[in-house]
Amino acid sequence: MNEQTLIGLVIAIIEFGTLLYLAALGELIAEKAGVLNLGVEGMMAFGGMAAFWAGVETGNPWIALVVAAIAGTALAAVHAVISVVLGADQVVSGLALTILGLAMAAFLGKDLVSKPVGTQFRELDLGPLSDIPWIGETLFSMSALSWLALALGVATWFVFTRTSTGLALRAVGESAATADAAGLPVVRTRVIAVMIGGALAGMSGAYLTLLLAPGWSEGTTAGRGWIAVALVIFGAWRPGRVLIGALLFGGLIALEPRLQTFGVEISPILLSMLPYLLTIGVLILLSIRSRNRPSAAPAAIGQTWRREER
Amino acid sequence: MRNLRLVRRETPLAGGQFRAVLVGVVIALLVGVILLLATGNNPVSTYLRMLDGAFGSPRAWSNTLTRAVPLGLAGLAVAVAGSMGLWNIGAEGQIIAGAIGAAWVARLAPDLAGPLLIPLMLLGAVLGGAVLALGPALARARLGVSEIITTLMLNEVAIRIVRYLVNGPWKDPEGNNFPIAPEIPDQAKLPGLFERANIGVLIAAVVVGLFGWLVSRSAWGYELRIAGSSERTAEYVGISLRTKILTVLVMSGMFAGLAGGIELTGSASRLVEGVAGGWGFAGIIVAALALMRPSGVAAVAVAFGAVQIGGLSIQTQGVPAAIADILQALILFGALAAAVFGNYKLVRGEPATTLDTAGGAA
Repeated sequence: MNEQTLIGLVIAIIEFGTLLYLAALGELIAEKAGVLNLGVEGMMAFGGMAAFWAGVETGNPWIALVVAAIAGTALAAVHAVISVVLGADQVVSGLALTILGLAMAAFLGKDLVSKPVGTQFRELDLGPLSDIPWIGETLFSMSALSWLALALGVATWFVFTRTSTGLALRAVGESAATADAAGLPVVRTRVIAVMIGGALAGMSGAYLTLLLAPGWSEGTTAGRGWIAVALVIFGAWRPGRVLIGALLFGGLIALEPRLQTFGVEISPILLSMLPYLLTIGVLILLSIRSRNRPSAAPAAIGQTWRREER
Repeated sequence: MRNLRLVRRETPLAGGQFRAVLVGVVIALLVGVILLLATGNNPVSTYLRMLDGAFGSPRAWSNTLTRAVPLGLAGLAVAVAGSMGLWNIGAEGQIIAGAIGAAWVARLAPDLAGPLLIPLMLLGAVLGGAVLALGPALARARLGVSEIITTLMLNEVAIRIVRYLVNGPWKDPEGNNFPIAPEIPDQAKLPGLFERANIGVLIAAVVVGLFGWLVSRSAWGYELRIAGSSERTAEYVGISLRTKILTVLVMSGMFAGLAGGIELTGSASRLVEGVAGGWGFAGIIVAALALMRPSGVAAVAVAFGAVQIGGLSIQTQGVPAAIADILQALILFGALAAAVFGNYKLVRGEPATTLDTAGGAA
């Protein structure tokens, strides 16, 4: 194994980590407000398709990123209206959103499949910093989107732990009735949180179709949206731990095509099961642990709330 | 906007879920018109062709009913769990596990006579589905781990197991390097019924009918629904929640597994990665539209079978089959919204006091 392979691996870990972190961060924000959104896979696909289309049309990756965020937000708004405003079941609504998002991406993206890439994100050249051996070639050469994901993670942590907005959002996710009694706008908070989640999932899709695997084809999300849902649990609903989880799961994905190079005789397909199995393991550990201390999950997650019925 | 709020109706609108689903269908078709127009397709002719593709001939009917089989069994799987307030999101993976189980039996005993081999393969399928459901069932019953995420995660695991099998140990040496398993022996294929349909349609109809009756009419089903509505009541009358959760979730996995077995011995005839075709996820919508009542599952499954087969039949006109999935999801969203408005009404104005609204009258 030479230096170049190792650097290639680190770059891939950062790239897959960014993809997963953007989507997982969005899901984290929605879940912290008490709304489970199983539509991540669909929002990611729809955002990715929209980004690729906008890239072909405008040639500007940043416009494409904004379009992807809008596309993700629009889909998330469906979930917000159905499950938060109208109070239907979050599980059914979220799963239907995944089906809708994947199908809309396939339907509207039909003619994009053969299109050449219109634009893509490139690695950021930080001048002398990028020339540092090792760190320069990996960390200081990553794309602006990876920095953006990192900044959004720090911002989420800051808002959750240091601001009254974050406190209000968490209160809504812990007990809607209590938050309402305290005068907090439960429905509005949840709707906004779900829509921010959609924007981030859409951006994650843009990262996929404009950088990680430039182009559009059905099935390009390949279950990564589900990993994002898993990551939130794996990271115990904390932005920092979810980042570590994203790098770990991103690392597992990055290893898949490289196992043979490293002389490991396990099928990469079997390796790709690990994120899901690890998440189940963490869920079981969390539940054993939470017998004597409070659970890490937002208490009101999955529960619909109507003021009339408190 | 700020002054609008939902207030419970004193009496729900008439028609109940039937009306809600109908509203959902209308909304889905209308949004579909917009999407079809936007992509340069004629909505009227597209819908007519879909209808024709699903019901226009005996062959169309046979395709629709064949597709209704996995939808109905997956819907039953979700509905049985749902009638106890549990979520089996893992039907997709359990269908795969069922297909693997059936294929495994055929690999072990390829020379058995059909009348013996087919039931054994279906048994293998049922066991395959049960195995995949067992972990989440135990975790939920013993440790209280939410079955939503565990069953969801196992879908992705099952997809990778079948991918591994058809790319590796079970890969067909004569398959031109395609990721497919060898075809199952001829005597292992389900006997035909009419046109493209096989007796899997009858098997599924009997299973859905029988268990629909069990859930809605038997003492066992009654206990199930009590356990779903109130854990305390259930414990008070001596129902063991743990046992119920375990049996219901495993049973749920069995139904989905059977769907995989029928698919393998029926239409598929060989194991491929896409053997579950998204039907496990569609089954969740089917069950939700049927309000978790197995009795309604069959009807919704046939309707969704028609939408999917109709979707396939317009592909030749250049309209992506994804329109079927779009319609299905929109039917659900529309029905969910309509169901809410059946029980609630939109009123203007702030609630006067908490006491006034607590009664539900406006």
